[in-house]
Amino acid sequence: MLRYIAFRSLVALFLVWIVVTVVFLLLHLIPGDPAELLLSQGNIPADPNAVLALREKMGLNAPLWQQYLDHIAGIFTGDLGASFRDGAPVIEQIGLRLPRTLEVIVSAALIASAIGVPLGTFAAIRADGRADAVISFFASAALSTPVFVVGSVVILIFAQELKWLPAGGFVPFSEDPVEHLKLLLLPAGTVALSLLAVITRMSRASVLEVLERDYVRTARAKGVSRARILRRHVVRNALIPVLTILGLELGTLIGGTVLVEFVFNWPGLSGYLVTAVDARDYPEVVGIVMTISVLFVLLNLVVDVVNAMLDPRISLVR
Amino acid sequence: MKNHMNRRGFLATTGAAGALTFLGPKVLRAQDNGTLRFGLSTYPPSFDVWASNGTSAGTIKVLCHRGLLSYDKEGLIRSELAESWDVAEDGTWTFKLRDAKWHDGSPVTAEDVAWTVTEAQKPDSAAYLQASLATITSVETPDEKTVVMKTSEPQAVLPEWFANYNMSIMKKGSERDSLMGAGPFKLVSTDRGVSVTVEANPDYYKEGLPKVSTIEAIVYADENLRVAALEAGDVDIVEYVPWQAMEQVAENDALKLDTTFGPFMYLTFNASKPPFDNPLVRRAMGHAIKREDIAAAAFYERGAPLEHLPLPDASEFYNAEFANEWNYDPEKAKSLLAEAGYPDGFNCTMLSTAQYGMHQSTAEVCQAYLSMIGVNVTLDLPEWSTRVKKGNEGTYDIAVMGTAAANNDPDGLATVLDGSLSPSYARSYGMETPEISEAFAKGRASFDTEERKAIYKELERVAIETAPIMGLCWREQGYGMAANVSGFSNLPGQLTFHSGFTLEEAMIG
Repeated sequence: MLRYIAFRSLVALFLVWIVVTVVFLLLHLIPGDPAELLLSQGNIPADPNAVLALREKMGLNAPLWQQYLDHIAGIFTGDLGASFRDGAPVIEQIGLRLPRTLEVIVSAALIASAIGVPLGTFAAIRADGRADAVISFFASAALSTPVFVVGSVVILIFAQELKWLPAGGFVPFSEDPVEHLKLLLLPAGTVALSLLAVITRMSRASVLEVLERDYVRTARAKGVSRARILRRHVVRNALIPVLTILGLELGTLIGGTVLVEFVFNWPGLSGYLVTAVDARDYPEVVGIVMTISVLFVLLNLVVDVVNAMLDPRISLVR
Repeated sequence: MKNHMNRRGFLATTGAAGALTFLGPKVLRAQDNGTLRFGLSTYPPSFDVWASNGTSAGTIKVLCHRGLLSYDKEGLIRSELAESWDVAEDGTWTFKLRDAKWHDGSPVTAEDVAWTVTEAQKPDSAAYLQASLATITSVETPDEKTVVMKTSEPQAVLPEWFANYNMSIMKKGSERDSLMGAGPFKLVSTDRGVSVTVEANPDYYKEGLPKVSTIEAIVYADENLRVAALEAGDVDIVEYVPWQAMEQVAENDALKLDTTFGPFMYLTFNASKPPFDNPLVRRAMGHAIKREDIAAAAFYERGAPLEHLPLPDASEFYNAEFANEWNYDPEKAKSLLAEAGYPDGFNCTMLSTAQYGMHQSTAEVCQAYLSMIGVNVTLDLPEWSTRVKKGNEGTYDIAVMGTAAANNDPDGLATVLDGSLSPSYARSYGMETPEISEAFAKGRASFDTEERKAIYKELERVAIETAPIMGLCWREQGYGMAANVSGFSNLPGQLTFHSGFTLEEAMIG
């Protein structure tokens, strides 16, 4: 087990290095000069000398390979550099914003699991019945509706029309817990909706499959009550693939909440990546992408290990 | 086109109609007493006091800072840190300072003003007005309250520089991005990318101002969310009301819309190579495009055709005889092209950006009309950053641009017309404009309004003839606010982005 984890961690490190390198090179390949952009705000020409001086300050005049090596060396010493825009340490910004993104994702996962698993189980028990059809229809609809559409509609209903909740924004929990939770509700709910669809469908398929198994038939033949069969034998076993899918979905969401953060003005990490790319803030972009990729491979690793623990048939031996 | 419902128009109206009236009664949430919430369109890229860093940064900067002068609600120059100002026969400007204090309690002195000018006029200062300030040859401080400025040649527009929101006075030795100033509000906190909070400065030199105790500026980068936040009562004022939502804000009884015609859209040309090195070709572009369609498609009818230089008809420098010189006349466009040696038209690229809908729609309309005179346009629509770079480098044939001039004086148009300035995406590339540059210099040196009128009239005549840029349309620029907000107003014309000056008088209820 430990050997397996060590091997997988090495692979993960290699992957992260590839990602950082690709992002670094892409950033320097696309047109747009950070110094020039900083100095060309508000439609005035950037003074060529000022641009040169700023490029020097940013260390952009060094050859690309040297910039790359400096950057990688920095990462190994835990220094992700400072923002081109205001000199704020990148690591600080990530520390500030990552928890906010995780908060939305984790809340969404909790909401989606709490509703999705019972719903999917219910649909499976009533397979091909009317309830199943309704649930499956809504799951498909929720899955195929883009998140910004869902976001805009819930803002229209709950903020603009009913005025129950604020349209968007952020207040730290420490400052005003109630307001914070109010603000969290819509973005977390929006992310939860698409996740809910996935979990419901997965639970349904998984429970259906388990219901066909021999040990369930045996239990039934022995006269074990239906509720007990479901609780003890079916749901527990059916949850393994659901957990797997949930883990993978979460990984995707860490980088994929961009639109939700934008629509709801939630100052998380992925939304911030967009503004960093926009400003060609190299250190920030590389730092954020690296963080997201580390989390992604880490999550995949955790999912595999958990799966192995839950299901003795999964072998970790290569 | 007027009554033709395109897809976007349909979406906008159905969205705006918000057919959700069946949803229960509306309850307006109670306002915090004394806190005004202002919806910004973006988080300021920097607070650099003298650099031009966009509208949002400008608003925050004028909350905390003040210059020697500013603009009143009519757009006229008024006193701020300078109590009075006058100019001598030889063009020497003298400013008398009032008794004002910095946020740290120390007095604002003539020395601070001198230091500010010296810092901002340095060649590498990257100050918005660096080129203008560089003409100030000496700043003398005969006493604590007097500043005397001498310029290399007379500068009639010098007060406009010191009223600009990018020319606030700083305490000697301050960091350039510090918000410690002498303005009506003091900085409380910034949450990067999220919000900026300021509180009333009790030592502010204007009696009874500011009216509110706190202003919280919150960033809503998504324009639809900005409107939603205003409708939901999350904020009291928003900047940059998107054009498609202006009608819905205006018709909402709980809200007010305050707009002004100021910023404008125009074409810039790459004059460093054929075919746009030929003024006949540039003029042909102007006659080929029907401006009303740009106003309709890009600005939801909140635009007005611009067929001359961007001088508003309310300005005393407006020349009625040039009003429609670049009018829509496809036949004339074709004959100009033939005269220039392109009877069958040509192929070219048009640079704009897909990041802002108005820029893209403007380019699409231009493309359609130019194809009718045989000019086949390939659109190049990168995101804004790339568009800026390509514009500065001249990697384009024609480009769509939108901006506001520095002020309402015709001199403010130098930033889009004057070819003697360094290359910029706001101006045509490689465009030699010797007569126009000279006229700007003459206009700046004259203190006689009638004489200046004649100078700028001649400047416009040359511009109409040579088309260093091509006007397309004026656009309305709007602030939206709750009906119970008073005192804040959108400054007229090109000054719209200076509206933050009036936040000191803003109050709720």
